[in-house]
Amino acid sequence: MELFNALGLNVKILLAQLINFAVLVFVLWRFGYKPVLKFLDDRREKIEKGVEDARRASEKLEEMEQREAELVKAAKREAAKILEEAKKQGETNRQKIVDKAKEEIGQIINQEKAKMEVEKGETLKEIKKEVGDLVILSLKKVLEEKMTDKKDEELIKKIVKSLK
Amino acid sequence: MGLEIKLAPDILFYLGGFPVTNTFFWSLVLSLFLIGLTFFIRKNLKLVPGRLQNIAELLLESGYSFVKSIAGTEKKTRRIFPLVFTMFLFILVANLATYIPGQSAITLARQEGPVSVFRAVMSDYSMVFVMTVITFLITQIVAIMVHGPFGYLGKFINFKNPLQFFLGLMDLIGELAKVISLSFRLFGNIFAGEVLGAVMLFLAPFFIPLPFMFLGLLTAVVQAFVFAVLTLVFITMASEIEENEITESASI
Repeated sequence: MELFNALGLNVKILLAQLINFAVLVFVLWRFGYKPVLKFLDDRREKIEKGVEDARRASEKLEEMEQREAELVKAAKREAAKILEEAKKQGETNRQKIVDKAKEEIGQIINQEKAKMEVEKGETLKEIKKEVGDLVILSLKKVLEEKMTDKKDEELIKKIVKSLK
Repeated sequence: MGLEIKLAPDILFYLGGFPVTNTFFWSLVLSLFLIGLTFFIRKNLKLVPGRLQNIAELLLESGYSFVKSIAGTEKKTRRIFPLVFTMFLFILVANLATYIPGQSAITLARQEGPVSVFRAVMSDYSMVFVMTVITFLITQIVAIMVHGPFGYLGKFINFKNPLQFFLGLMDLIGELAKVISLSFRLFGNIFAGEVLGAVMLFLAPFFIPLPFMFLGLLTAVVQAFVFAVLTLVFITMASEIEENEITESASI
């Protein structure tokens, strides 16, 4: 007891200090540590989520880029193929058209030739007829004026000869 | 002016038969300060922390991880942390508050002479005693809860062989010595620091006390840390079951 007095220990004060300290612990825990630690945990979670999201996003981006590159490559290949085909097709088409045109031209030429042949025949016929008429006319005139028996006989002979 | 050194705190006034001492008054003020600060920080919690919130976060986070590194499990940490961290904060603030300049000059006139209103809280044994008693009681309760009442008693009193009996007695003394060493370490350091400061100030008021004040600053932080960590260690030790105990109970 002597020591207690020397140190100034008083039961009332000790009790008061105990209550004081208990209240302090409670208040600091309930309104200080708990919310702040929870807050910190929440924030950590949020940051972790953010980092994870960013990682996933970049991964996805990479994947997309790869896919895109693949797509472009495939498209190029496809385009080249189509171009090649188109060229081939164009070549054959051209060939076909040219062949057809040649054929048509040949046909037309043939037709024209035939037509010309016919026309020529006709013209010749006409000319022959005309010439024949003329010969007959002139013959008539000649015969009317200068035909003698002798001459006539000679002419007949000549004609028969040529006809033989 | 004479140099007066007292172990007991001075009584400022009586509140209906309750003697309000200067250390008790001071501890109330500091508690209110801490509570006020807590509410202030809580109210101003932001996702992007300000300076004060940064300090609070740093203290709490590093304190929590430190307690966890000693206590081991998350469950234990959650239970011990509030007490231990409050002890640390309160002792730290109480010790550092003595460095607020000019406070020792504020006195209250009493019949037996002027009484200073402020005195280092930890230089009064009562607050230290209260905290030590809390530590002691919690340690005992935890130990009894872990080992069972008879198992715990058996640690101190057993008649298996003379050596065990002797060791049990030593454990009992050790348990009591823990209380005394824990409390008087803090009390002694701070009280000695106060006395040393007063003596130095009395002998050579200028410049000479400065190194002692720096030393006192170091003591203030270190003692707060030591008290809290020892409390943590005692409670953690009480909550752990030792290896040989498990094998003993298994052999029975």
